Amino acid sequence: MRKFPHRPRWAVLLVALALVLSACRDTGGGTATDDGTETAGATEGATAGGGEVQTDVGVTEEACPNAVNSDNGCIYLGIISDLTEGPFAALAVPITDAQKAFWKRVNEEGGIGGYDVDVESYIKDNKYNPEVHNQVYQEIKPEVLALAQTLGSPTTAAIIEDLKAENIVAAPASWTSAWEFEEVILESGTNYCIESMNAIDHAQRNISEDISVMAVGLPGDYGGDAAKGAEVAAEELGLDFSSVETTPGPENQAEAVGQIVQNNPDIVILTTAPTDAAAVIGGAAAEGYQGKFYGTSPTWNPALLESPAADAIKALYLQTAPWEPFGTDTPGHEAMREAIGDVEPNDGYTSGWVWSYPLKAALEAAAEAGDLTRAGIAQAASELETVDYEGMLPEEAGRFGGDPSETVYREIVVAEPDENEPTGVKVIEEFFASDVAQNYEMSGPCFTG
Amino acid sequence: MTDFLQALISGLGVGSIYALLAVGFVIIYKSMQVISFAQPALLVTGAVMVSYLRFDFGLNFWIALPLAMVLTALLALVIERLALRPMIGKPVFVVAIITIGVDIAVRVVVNRFIGLGARQVGDPWGLTIRRLGAVVVQERYLWMMLITAVVVSLLFAFFKYSRVGLAMRAAAFDQETALAQGISVGQVFALSWAIAGALAALAGTLAGTRAGIDQQTWVLGLKALPAIILGGLDSVGGAVVGGLAVGVVEAMVSRYQGAYFPWLGQNFSLVSPYVLMLIVLMIRPYGLFGTPEVERV
Repeated sequence: MRKFPHRPRWAVLLVALALVLSACRDTGGGTATDDGTETAGATEGATAGGGEVQTDVGVTEEACPNAVNSDNGCIYLGIISDLTEGPFAALAVPITDAQKAFWKRVNEEGGIGGYDVDVESYIKDNKYNPEVHNQVYQEIKPEVLALAQTLGSPTTAAIIEDLKAENIVAAPASWTSAWEFEEVILESGTNYCIESMNAIDHAQRNISEDISVMAVGLPGDYGGDAAKGAEVAAEELGLDFSSVETTPGPENQAEAVGQIVQNNPDIVILTTAPTDAAAVIGGAAAEGYQGKFYGTSPTWNPALLESPAADAIKALYLQTAPWEPFGTDTPGHEAMREAIGDVEPNDGYTSGWVWSYPLKAALEAAAEAGDLTRAGIAQAASELETVDYEGMLPEEAGRFGGDPSETVYREIVVAEPDENEPTGVKVIEEFFASDVAQNYEMSGPCFTG
Repeated sequence: MTDFLQALISGLGVGSIYALLAVGFVIIYKSMQVISFAQPALLVTGAVMVSYLRFDFGLNFWIALPLAMVLTALLALVIERLALRPMIGKPVFVVAIITIGVDIAVRVVVNRFIGLGARQVGDPWGLTIRRLGAVVVQERYLWMMLITAVVVSLLFAFFKYSRVGLAMRAAAFDQETALAQGISVGQVFALSWAIAGALAALAGTLAGTRAGIDQQTWVLGLKALPAIILGGLDSVGGAVVGGLAVGVVEAMVSRYQGAYFPWLGQNFSLVSPYVLMLIVLMIRPYGLFGTPEVERV
């Protein structure tokens, strides 16, 4: 690149434009960037919905941009998600789209306490990088009342102290047991730790009482939480247990496959990404492994049923999940499908939708109490005893505040591959919790790093 | 011994993918003195094209694969013409940064075509395994080695015997002299990108066998970096050896490290290529087959 003289620079501009466009990528149904909307920094005694409501940050008397109800004020919620190049973008985009649809529906039903809810003005991409997560959080913090989504646990860990200090309530997009111990995080469904305890119970009831268990998972809280839960249950039940930590990437699964084939456990608790799961299950099956794989919901993708490993997956794979899949007939699932419209079915939508209910309940309770300040929301969230998940989860799953051993929700569902279902899985056992899971004392996060 | 041979074959299979990618990096480097970070995007693009040609256009895998290689080569040509050619004369650092931008922009578009799930490339090998005596190997690894051996041999023949190949070598050796001899250095740049694009498409497709490709498959493209440093940035043969070495070292460490060096922790295999790279660089700073540069100060 050294000999030719200078050339016209329009192509350089074109590349720069492409970069800018990629950074501002539309996430499927809405903008992924700020629109510069200003919110009042600290308004006391704003009036909305006919009563005195106290507000501070992220709430305005002016209507939201593109408001459904132009007479309503506006509550701004932030979303920090993995929208472009991070490892969970394929899940994060539908999660975010479902949340946009969820809050749009809330607005169409009249809003909350005289306010519409805006989740589209402050959507930020964290690239699944804790540093970026914190940076974009600091950018939107002065503008939002709460976070409708904070995706990832290492990323959320980077802002958790600030969330607590500022009383900013947030809906997570992760299932780590650590969130049971953070009052500002409104988790839904059970965590990986309890989930794998229940998986072992299912296997004992359906395979054999005396099973050997191997946990195969990614490093960090995802695999670590599940492995710890499996270890606790195995120890409690006197079962053989081993654990293999693997790394992302289908071509990096040879070691895990080798360990599975060599040790031949009766069940494998699997916590990987979907293509890794296909490589592990397909690889192990090709070498003669005939045990069962219990994969957490992030191991699943309907496209796995089109992979060469499909037959092995149908024969050997079961999915444990914190709630029922996309095609289920509950009022909540039906409302979700109607709100998001004609999309490729994906349980990212289901998760994004379910995670939104507790925040809605907290906002409603705070509005009812006339206190839509950050402290008011945090107080209302900590007093939630039940949440109406419209049948997607039992109401008691929405209990927050207090001793985690009492508030943690412990039930899961088990599903099997079924290509006739929208997301390729069909529930074979409805919500249940094992004795081990029910009696487990949550004295601290299962995975501690 | 059986374990060793199994690990060796799987290492050579995966190493073949790295080798194809590494050769693409080196061909661009030799012509432009730039490391192109757009290769991961081209890798995914090629594999996605194979997937669409297979399942949406109903083509046979053996037709879809070369067609996707040609289409990816054309895309690489367009990228080179629009984004890289105007940067001639600029510092190589700037050009390398532009390739990073190209990589991100192309991947964002391609991700739309991948969608939320994984796309299959429809290879004919699936889960088939072969038993060579007591050694059990995945058939796809054997095909990966065979395809890479054929493609690399053709490339060497191309560089050695064809006029265009000789022109590329001449331009890589000395651009000014090549220009003086009537060689179009611009065409050499374009051709190097096209070849690298086709190789990336082939590597991506081979990587997508069995489990498919998803939005994270591009990360595999970065595995070629230790391979090219190991082999020497300006040596095609070194890239092949480096790629195979990275694959074999990963497989061997993955197989034996847990038993013999458990204190290194789990998944040390992923770090092992970089450790190997550091060791080689300490002994041969220009890589195993790289050209030492003599600088007078």
